[in-house]
Amino acid sequence: MLARSIASAFLVAVLVAAEASALAQQAGAETVAAAVPEFTPRADQGAEQRDEFRTLDQNVQDLKKQVLDLNRDLFLLEEELLFPANTQVAVFISMDVGEFFGLDSVELKIDNKDVTNYLYTEREADALLKGGVQRLFVGNFKAGEHELVAVFTGAGPHTRDYRRAASLVFEKGIGPRYIELTISDRETKQQPEFIVKEWE
Amino acid sequence: MTRISAATRSTLVIAALLAVATAVVAATRLAGAEAPDFVLKSLSGENLRLSEYRGEVVMLSFWASWCGDCRAQLEELGAMRARYEEAGVELLAVSLDQNRRQADELATGLGMSYPVLHDEGGEVGRLYDVSRMPVMVLIDRNGIIREVFEGFRRGNEQQYLERVQALLRE
Repeated sequence: MLARSIASAFLVAVLVAAEASALAQQAGAETVAAAVPEFTPRADQGAEQRDEFRTLDQNVQDLKKQVLDLNRDLFLLEEELLFPANTQVAVFISMDVGEFFGLDSVELKIDNKDVTNYLYTEREADALLKGGVQRLFVGNFKAGEHELVAVFTGAGPHTRDYRRAASLVFEKGIGPRYIELTISDRETKQQPEFIVKEWE
Repeated sequence: MTRISAATRSTLVIAALLAVATAVVAATRLAGAEAPDFVLKSLSGENLRLSEYRGEVVMLSFWASWCGDCRAQLEELGAMRARYEEAGVELLAVSLDQNRRQADELATGLGMSYPVLHDEGGEVGRLYDVSRMPVMVLIDRNGIIREVFEGFRRGNEQQYLERVQALLRE
């Protein structure tokens, strides 16, 4: 942000200096012209000055537009450099039904390295049960194969302590990757089910 | 009795002054800032997040079972919370004990009816620059730290009460 501001300020300074130099040259030319006896009628001189001011005003407006465009480009460049979409991996979590599982925490590991450990309050778990989707993690990873392991802790059937892990090996290519952790009920087994899937 | 040399004495005095200055700087740094959010497991088993108490005046107390002043402070804060709970005052007591059992024993002994949280790794304590105990952080309804009280002496409760009442009037 600071670098962008400095760059913008520098550009404005350079453009203003260039404009000032052009004006100075024009003023110099006018001074020389003033030394020469003038034969043009006063009305024409007024019209010329008006045209000059109009051109100058137009130049200033163009300069402003150029500065704004450059500022926008720099902003986009900074965003791309800091959060490159191509290396981004985002992990989301959602719950479906949740009769057999009360969520307490999720521990997320990517390539055997802890990336987040999230404790859920009652309100947050309720929000998930009502259909909310939470972005659990976002990070940048290089292209290649990566392994994601999610460890879910909470209260299982009959409110017993429950701890299960689910994993996914994913290929990080060009472009961002979105992964969803879903907790749902498996009615037939009367057990919760933990699914890790990739969004295409 | 062993005599302490003048140089040693000066070093000790300087070290003590530095410690006090560091604590004061830490407390000053926090006041006026937004209270860092955290989530901790309470002794009753539920997870509690500080930001979910927005809209209430929060007394965030850091304590440990080995600290006598902490017990005295918690007794006073507990009484204040019981009195002003319905007006929107909450007390969150964060235990910095390494062992959860120690925190549990004291909580039971003091009959704590308010949320008691256990900061197992001391991360929240570090977040709030807790360098001595007890520490009471007073947070307003907008989640801004209004005051940090370090240490406790009998009579301090009057000061707490005045500050809490002022925040409730805002």
